[in-house]
Amino acid sequence: MGKHFSTFRHDVWLPYKFAVGQVFKAFYDGLKEEKILGNQCQSCGKIFVPPRSFCPDCNVDMGDYTEVSQEGEIVTWTLAKEAFFGSPLDPPFITALIRLDGVSCDLLHLVGGFDLSDVTGVRQRIKKNRRVRAVWNDEKQGHLLDIKYFEPL
Amino acid sequence: MGRAVAIIGMGQTKHGRRYDVTYPDLVREGVQAAFEDASLTPADIDGVVFGTMPSMMEGVAMTHFYFADALRAVGKPMMKTETCGTTGMSLAITGYYWVASGLADIVLVVGSEKMHEGDSQATMSTVLEPFYLRPFLAGAPGVFSMLAQSWMERYDIPEDKGREAAGKISVDHHKDAFDNPYAHIKKDLSMEDVTNGKVITYPYRLWDICPNSDGTCAVIFASEEKAKKLCARPAWVKGVGFCGDEYWYGDSDKVAWECAIDTAKQAYKQAGITNPLKELDVAEVYNPFTYVELIHYECFGFCEPGKAAEATLKGTFSRGGELPCDPSGGVLCTNPIGATALVRVAEAAMQVAGKAGDHQIDGAKTALAHGLGGVSQFNGMMILGSSL
Amino acid sequence: MSNRVAIVDVAQTPGSESSDNFLDQLYGVCKEVLDKTGVSREEVGCVISAASDVFHGGISCANAYYWDSGAGFLKNGSRQDGESLLAFYYGVMRILSGHFDTVLVVGICKGSENPSDDMITHFYTDPFYQRQVGLNEIFAAALQMRAYMDTYGIKEEQCAQVVVKNLGNALRNPYAHLKQRIDLEDVMQSRVLTDPLKEMECAPKSEGMVALLLASEEKAKELTEKPVWFKGFGSSMDTFYLGDRNLLESEITNAAKQAYAMAGIKDPRKEIDVAEITEPYAFQELLWCEGIGFCGPGEGGKLIESGATQMNGDIPVNPSGGVLANNPYVSRGLYRLAEVVLQIKGQAGERQLAKDVNTGLAHGTHGFAGQFHAVAIVGT
Repeated sequence: MGKHFSTFRHDVWLPYKFAVGQVFKAFYDGLKEEKILGNQCQSCGKIFVPPRSFCPDCNVDMGDYTEVSQEGEIVTWTLAKEAFFGSPLDPPFITALIRLDGVSCDLLHLVGGFDLSDVTGVRQRIKKNRRVRAVWNDEKQGHLLDIKYFEPL
Repeated sequence: MGRAVAIIGMGQTKHGRRYDVTYPDLVREGVQAAFEDASLTPADIDGVVFGTMPSMMEGVAMTHFYFADALRAVGKPMMKTETCGTTGMSLAITGYYWVASGLADIVLVVGSEKMHEGDSQATMSTVLEPFYLRPFLAGAPGVFSMLAQSWMERYDIPEDKGREAAGKISVDHHKDAFDNPYAHIKKDLSMEDVTNGKVITYPYRLWDICPNSDGTCAVIFASEEKAKKLCARPAWVKGVGFCGDEYWYGDSDKVAWECAIDTAKQAYKQAGITNPLKELDVAEVYNPFTYVELIHYECFGFCEPGKAAEATLKGTFSRGGELPCDPSGGVLCTNPIGATALVRVAEAAMQVAGKAGDHQIDGAKTALAHGLGGVSQFNGMMILGSSL
Repeated sequence: MSNRVAIVDVAQTPGSESSDNFLDQLYGVCKEVLDKTGVSREEVGCVISAASDVFHGGISCANAYYWDSGAGFLKNGSRQDGESLLAFYYGVMRILSGHFDTVLVVGICKGSENPSDDMITHFYTDPFYQRQVGLNEIFAAALQMRAYMDTYGIKEEQCAQVVVKNLGNALRNPYAHLKQRIDLEDVMQSRVLTDPLKEMECAPKSEGMVALLLASEEKAKELTEKPVWFKGFGSSMDTFYLGDRNLLESEITNAAKQAYAMAGIKDPRKEIDVAEITEPYAFQELLWCEGIGFCGPGEGGKLIESGATQMNGDIPVNPSGGVLANNPYVSRGLYRLAEVVLQIKGQAGERQLAKDVNTGLAHGTHGFAGQFHAVAIVGT
């Protein structure tokens, strides 16, 4: 008798409720007011966006927010053409690391505001101009996506 | 045999409901506390061991990546040890072997959990595979309730005697917790509060069962040379043991539980212990449920099989008794699962190093720490002593 | 007392989907290695497993499920999550402590039961700053690839050559999941998943149960005429947020440095005879080769073009086909080690290298854009 090959599907759903903490909440509140907030480590002087509760290098507590520029440069990017199950976003979309002016680290966010349907076109557009500026959603939720995306200037 | 290893520092967070901080901050709090206790910095650490319950518990996977900074592990070797409920003990055992092998001199071991961010019973139901077990086992209390019934039947322990002994454990530990600044649940309960409490899964009532807690525990292990140089009162690892049995609930006898008995045998042999009741000064037994603590007293040889209820009611295992058990309040009062068994290790180390503050057992020289996990499947043990 | 540990023998399962259930596959591979080495389950000192709760068919507390199928019944043991080579290192520690003469190390993964790796790795993200923008391992890798190309002028064709090499090598590996005679055009024309990463440049999702038996020096010499000795190990973790990292300078260099120091290796390119490197995205083979010192920064493209990493080159990389040919996500690090062991023992069948193989390097990596790396060195 041949080997019987069978499978069955079983999905698991679980609810979560995350504690936001002071620092991340401040960042989210800033977004509601169309401000991008960061904070600076008093020990090494690095400015982090999004802000952190502690400096990863120096391990000192950080608070004290500072508003940073909404313009910066694309450090690296990728155009997503395929979605995975449960993806929060629908392709095509561009994920990028963006160095906002005056900040010491890169911000992970989206680049958009132009035609994303053709890879060659996208590559050319970004090659021509890596400087971007934040574009906001009219409706705010206190959420990273209150910034709709960063648009090439 | 391998090198001698000692615990030279430990830290805990205030365990409880910690919505005031994010999970990485909670980890950082425990790690900072250990560094402060040992007067060390990350530069002194050769490697970091980390572990928690499965990712489904908090909804972030592979948390050692997420916590790399909070653990001060950037640029360092890491190990990620996880064995569900016994995780904290397996973490400690990993730290021990890393140093005993000679491959590291000082290792930071961290366990953590933030249970209020997820649904712990829903998560724990996923331990059971969907083929045979998942619909049936009514969460963790369900499993261990069946165990309690088996124990009482096996030894003809009248139900109200078992109930009274379990009640005494609950009353004692919830009160002991007032002397532990890190404990989560501290309560002045009467016997009636416990025996008349709401039934969860018979015979378990509300106060027979551990809470869900958020918390981190961090412990630093060191070689003999480093320990003697850096620590005034190291807690020396005298013996370790671990054992797991089969997955299928119903295959083994969990009352005279060979897995638990064997774990203790391994640790006692290494530590040279033949009469645990006399030779141990304090024991931090992993006690998420009152009846389970009683059963383990028997498996570990603290009393004869079937006599745990009697011995408990006599006060043998209370703070002032012959072998105080869980003077910290134990798991019954505080249960951030990934950290919990490591907290047992930290508490045992604190006892033999004379650092247990208000819940110090005077003159404690030899302490036992225990971890329990799975659907009644795993046991781990570490014995610590004040001298080499 | 000796301070040497050896790998006595290995057993592995093929990468393609098996109709056997998870537990039966695991039982089979453990039994195979115990039978091969003549060590009974009772004799084995302890079992150290590598498994992961999230890549585990939705069954959490991984070690609970497989403990007894993995030879663990009433035995001492433990589990490593995150990187399977750590289970090997832990096994070495257990023997060096003197507490155990033999350790069974097992890597456990049944890819066909899991959702896509893309979906699962999405859950590595920080829920506050990364999850909302959909970050997962493939997007992180694509960001790294773009940076690699922009910074050093690495060409897409050079990255694609890795796929041609590895899938071609895999034709000789009976355990490999994917094996194909393809050419550069096939890879370049394959569908773009997330620019610049193309489908053929991304590893599949495979099955993989692998078992290795470790022994102390004395015991190893009783059990085999060709023990493969533990020589060195290193691992290193990078900082978490992608924006804080230099994606082109990963912790692989630090991990390799530790391993080389332990093994007494000064010139890796000359002293290492074979390397099995974890390259779930083709370009990473080039980047990791730079990181472990087979060539200088930015020279990965030239390295593959030179033919040096081909099976008949001076530093063969992934003669098994690597992870591009076979990707049991959780156990792939131990697969790399098993392949190196087979090469050293002269038991790699059709994929055996023609040259003498005395020292081998096995590498594992996990985390976004290689946040964590582990490097093991073994030899005669």
